[in-house]
Amino acid sequence: MLRELCIILLLTAIGIAYSLIAGLSPLPWAEPLLEAGEIHLADAQALKVIWVDARAIEKFEKSHLPDALFFDEDDWDRGLFELMNTWLVQPRPIVVYCGSESCNTSQRIAERLRESLPDAEIYRLKGGWDAWQE
Amino acid sequence: MAGISPRIRSTALPAYLLLVGRLVVSAAFIMAALPKIQDPVAFGVSVEAYRVITGKLAMWTALALPWLELVTGFGLLIPQIRRGSALIIALLLIVFISLHASAWARGLDINCGCFSVHESDKAPDYLWLILRNVGLLAACFCVLIRDWQNSEQGTLREDASTS
Repeated sequence: MLRELCIILLLTAIGIAYSLIAGLSPLPWAEPLLEAGEIHLADAQALKVIWVDARAIEKFEKSHLPDALFFDEDDWDRGLFELMNTWLVQPRPIVVYCGSESCNTSQRIAERLRESLPDAEIYRLKGGWDAWQE
Repeated sequence: MAGISPRIRSTALPAYLLLVGRLVVSAAFIMAALPKIQDPVAFGVSVEAYRVITGKLAMWTALALPWLELVTGFGLLIPQIRRGSALIIALLLIVFISLHASAWARGLDINCGCFSVHESDKAPDYLWLILRNVGLLAACFCVLIRDWQNSEQGTLREDASTS
């Protein structure tokens, strides 16, 4: 049995090496890259952006990023109106965030906002609310 | 042959059913591995979504796990490494079932990362995911038990022929 496990691990290691050499995978020890339309928390803070909170209202009321606007995807017009009011007074980049790296809400809202506000600079926060918590 | 115990000679399931079970588990693991090998970054996001491991550990997992699935998937069909593969697959399935149950209990709305690494608009059906893995685990245990029985039978045959 031990011999079988050694063979399996050896074959797996060869596969991992192939992925790394062939460039299928980035080096796991390298810093993760940003995807298109994403921004790191530190960069967003430096830009003094307009924060848009795409999480549930209960989570927003409990805690949110400084001066963040709550944005309910189901009440799009109201959210857009409030955001436009803020943005028109002082145009700044807009950064949408949701709960974590894996949630899709911020991605969806950011894409729709780019259509509604083509002149605005709109990003999705890398790591979401979890990034702020860290 | 007369020395072989009837307990060992009897099997709970017909051989063809075990072969089907082995092929199903093997195909499931090979099919699950291929998209993850092609896009380990997207799979890494799926791994992190379970909020059990993050960062570089998640990336290492996203890199290694698909290859382990592929090797064990094929290994289930190769007699020389069949038992080891079945054992690893069984352990992996137990981990997957635990992760799905944990994500379900925490109400996580995530991409399963099982057979596709691309995000889905649909909420995950955790009950189905768990039941599917339990089915695969049952098939895997049958393969393991049968192989162990065969191995024991072979040992007894060798003993009988030498004595």
